[in-house]
Amino acid sequence: MPQLDEIQSLFHRAVLTADTSRLVSLLCGGRFPEKRFAVHKRHYETSLVTTILAKFPATAWLAGTRFLTEAATRFVHECPPATPCIAEYGRGFPKFLSACPAAERMPYLHDFAELEWCVGQVAIAVDEPPVSATQMSTISPDTLPDTLLTLQPGVCYLQVSWPVDELIKLYLKDSAPDHFAMDPLDISLELQGARGEFHMNRLAVAEFMFRKSISQRRSIEDAAERALELEAAFDPGQALAALIAAGLITAVTQGAEGSKT
Amino acid sequence: MKSIEHLPKVAGIGLRLPHMREMVATRPQTGWLEIHPENFLANPHAAELLLVLSQHYSISVHTVGISIGSTTGMDRLHLKRIRTLVDTINPIFVSGHLAWSTYGSDYLNDLLPLPYDAEALRLVAAHVRELQDFLGRPYLVENPSSYVGFRTSTMRETEFLSELVSRTGCKLLCDVSNAYVSAHNMGYDAHQYIDGLPADAIAEFHLGGYTPEEDEANPSGELLVDTHAAAIAEPAWDLYAYAIRRFGPKPTLIEWDNNVPPLAKLLDEAARAGKIASTAWEAHCAAAR
Repeated sequence: MPQLDEIQSLFHRAVLTADTSRLVSLLCGGRFPEKRFAVHKRHYETSLVTTILAKFPATAWLAGTRFLTEAATRFVHECPPATPCIAEYGRGFPKFLSACPAAERMPYLHDFAELEWCVGQVAIAVDEPPVSATQMSTISPDTLPDTLLTLQPGVCYLQVSWPVDELIKLYLKDSAPDHFAMDPLDISLELQGARGEFHMNRLAVAEFMFRKSISQRRSIEDAAERALELEAAFDPGQALAALIAAGLITAVTQGAEGSKT
Repeated sequence: MKSIEHLPKVAGIGLRLPHMREMVATRPQTGWLEIHPENFLANPHAAELLLVLSQHYSISVHTVGISIGSTTGMDRLHLKRIRTLVDTINPIFVSGHLAWSTYGSDYLNDLLPLPYDAEALRLVAAHVRELQDFLGRPYLVENPSSYVGFRTSTMRETEFLSELVSRTGCKLLCDVSNAYVSAHNMGYDAHQYIDGLPADAIAEFHLGGYTPEEDEANPSGELLVDTHAAAIAEPAWDLYAYAIRRFGPKPTLIEWDNNVPPLAKLLDEAARAGKIASTAWEAHCAAAR
C-alpha cells in the first residue's frame, strides 16, 4: 500500500504531465476513475491559463488570443505557481513567451508583455504620504550622500528595446490603426500607479539610472555616480529636487545606523 | 475572535474583487462577508478596500492555499502573511479545506483529495493543531467536493472529520453543496452524510453552485462539478433545509467565484438562504413541541 507522500507525488505528476499510469489503480469513482481525475487536471490548467490571460489582455490583443492561450497552457505545466497567491503568478511569463518559436516574428513581444506585467503591478499599489521638501531640507549636507530614499510602492523602472509604450497606449485607447510601423528603440520608462490608475513617463537615460538606483536602495551618492557615468552633464541636485517635487519619496534613511524619517 | 453572541444571524456573501468598489460605495445590507485571503495578500489596493469594509461588516477569512493535507508541509511564509491579515481584520472565522494543494515547491491551485486513513488523519491533525496554535484561534475545516476517492481509504469522510475534531478541537464548516456534489458523484446518500457529521462541531454553512456535465467515468451518467459558477440548485437548497433541522441555524455563506453575477444576485441568494433557514428551523421547532 503506497504511503501518502507517494500518492501525492503521483497526483502531482499526473496534474502537471497527464501521466496517470501509476495513479489510476489507487483511485475509485465510477467505472473509469481516471476520467474523473481529469476534472482536477482540467481545473489546474483552466484556472491558471485564465489567470494568465487576465493578466496579459493587451499581449493577447497584440499576439492573438489563440497564440497566447497555447503559450499560457505550456507555461502553467512547465512553470507551476510557487505560492498560493495567484495574483503573484505570471512574473516569468514574458520571458517564457519570448522563447516560444512563434514569437520570433514579434521581437518586441517580450518588452510588451513585460511592460504589461509592470502596469498590472503598479496599478494595484497604494501610495503613501510623500516626504516634503521641508523635511528633506533638514538632512545635513554631510550625511546627504550616504542617505537612502524609499520611493512610492507603485513605482517601477523598466528599460525596453522597442517603443512598446506607444503600442500599449493604442490598446488602452482602443484605437489601433490598420498599420503601425515600429523600429527598435531603447527607451527608459518610469511607471507610476496606485488604486487602479497608472501613467508612464519616458526618462532620459541618466535620470532613469538615478531613479532606478534610488529605488534599488542605493545611496544618493551611488545613484548620482551611476547617472554621471552615463551623462557627464547630469545634475544630481536637480534630479533629487524633481523626485521630491513628484512626491515619489516616502521615507529617508540616514547614515550607517539607518535612522528613518 | 469575536464571541459567539456577535456571530451573524443572517446569510452573508463571498466578497469577490469585481464587487469591491460597489460594496465600498453602496454598503448593501448583508449578514457578513467572506474573503479568500490569497486574493488580498498580493493586492494592496484590494486590501485597503477590505479594511474599509471590515469597519462595517463582519468578515470571515476562508483560505484556499493552506494545504493542511500536504505531506511536504504547509508554506510557513504564506501562514505568516495570513496571520498578519487575520490580526488586522479580526475575522469571525478562519477556515479552509480538508484537502491538499502543494507538493514541494509547486502549488497546484486546486483542492486535491486525500485518502481517509490513519496516516492522513495523523498528518492533517498535526497541521490543524499547528495552524490553530499559530493563528491563536480555532480553525474551521470544510468538507470537500469529491470526484474520485482512494481504494486505500479505511474510513468514511464523516468518520475522518469526526476524529479530526476529536483530536484537534477544530470546528467544521459544512459545505452543503459539496456534501450534495460528493454524495452524487461517489454514490452515497447526502442526508446520511449530514447525519454522520458531529453536530456540536458545525460552526458554519456554505452554499455554492455546481455544474452538471457528462460523467465520462460512467457512460450516460452525470457528474456534478463544484464550479461556484451558477445559482444554487434546488437539491442543494433542500439539503440545506435538512442540515438546518439537524444542526440548527448557523452563519451561512453564498459562494460564487466564476462567472460572477451582479452583486444584487448574490444578495438575493443570501436572502433566500435566510428564508429557507427560518422556515426549516421553525418547522423543526414546531414539530419538536
